[in-house]
Amino acid sequence: MADEFYVNWTTQVRKGVLELAILNTLSAGPLYGYDIVRRLGDVDSLVITEGTIYPILSRLRNEEYVESYIEESSSGPPRKYYRLTPRGREELRRMNQHWQQLHESLGVLRKEKKR
Amino acid sequence: MIDLTPEARTRFEQYLSRMRSALRGTRAVEPAEIEQNVREHVELALAEASGPVSTERLDAVLAQLGPPERWLPEDELPWWRRIAQRVSTGPEDWRLAYLAFGMFALGLLSLPVGVGLVFLVCAFLLGRAECELLSTRGESLGARRWLVLPSIWLVFLTAAGVALILPVAGLSGLGLSDGRIHFLQGIPHTRPETIERTRVETGYIALVAGVWWLFFSAIFAAIVKPVRAFFLPVTEHLGRKHALILALIGVMVGSIGAVLLFVI
Repeated sequence: MADEFYVNWTTQVRKGVLELAILNTLSAGPLYGYDIVRRLGDVDSLVITEGTIYPILSRLRNEEYVESYIEESSSGPPRKYYRLTPRGREELRRMNQHWQQLHESLGVLRKEKKR
Repeated sequence: MIDLTPEARTRFEQYLSRMRSALRGTRAVEPAEIEQNVREHVELALAEASGPVSTERLDAVLAQLGPPERWLPEDELPWWRRIAQRVSTGPEDWRLAYLAFGMFALGLLSLPVGVGLVFLVCAFLLGRAECELLSTRGESLGARRWLVLPSIWLVFLTAAGVALILPVAGLSGLGLSDGRIHFLQGIPHTRPETIERTRVETGYIALVAGVWWLFFSAIFAAIVKPVRAFFLPVTEHLGRKHALILALIGVMVGSIGAVLLFVI
């Protein structure tokens, strides 16, 4: 029962931060879809299932936080790259700030408990 | 283009077909873009493969991608898929409520072709099952009342209508003919025909209704408990006082009818 609660909770947390993780991955520069999935997959316990990344990328592009373009590849077919738009960069800044505040607030609560 | 065995190609096409179905109707994302990304993903994941890729190797990649039905959060699904998902995977108390409402809607739509009655009865039974389920758990209907109560109300009102009005209509039809009462031929017509006709017809119908309602109120008083239990929760407050009210209405309406027929 406790395990089920923990698994549900971690799944919800991961779902909630996936957009933030994708935008942060793109903050260093353009990446194609598969590359984004690989990088997020390298972060322990972040990706729920790889396929969930693509609808999020599509939604972020629809909302103009990212834009896409096709680029030829030397090792295979042309690839679809994604990069942050100025709007996306501003949104990422706000999201990171909020995340930092949340992290600090939780830290304060944990310190209070220790006293 | 990646080289897949025929079986693997069929498997991949089936997966893409599932994905298109899962993304159909969503406005937040573009299915074509996602499909392009998934194709690219599979090609890159299997780029190192030598020779045609087998079903086993493809399956490993598709398993990593996960079932497309779970890719979208519920709030991004179109309303009809949200309902379908709740009906197929949701908790029992919500599934019953959605099924009851679905049957109710289907019943109303197919009423002109007759079969609608069957759906409405099913909707009523599913709605009652939902109420019983929640009652045993000690829960209230809450928002589910909007899904469950319409069918119960409709069946209750129809049954009440049939019990109160149908016998009156039947007896009136049998007893009246051309403004005269078959078995009370002695009542003279002394005024112009249209006024007489209205007086006799109204009086007769009111008398029949009054007598029937008085009689039915006695039956109703005797069976009020099973009636209340059958139509719960819409009959929660139904009791013998309602039988008394019906009897009083019957006496009043019947008296009006008698006055119209025999005094005026």
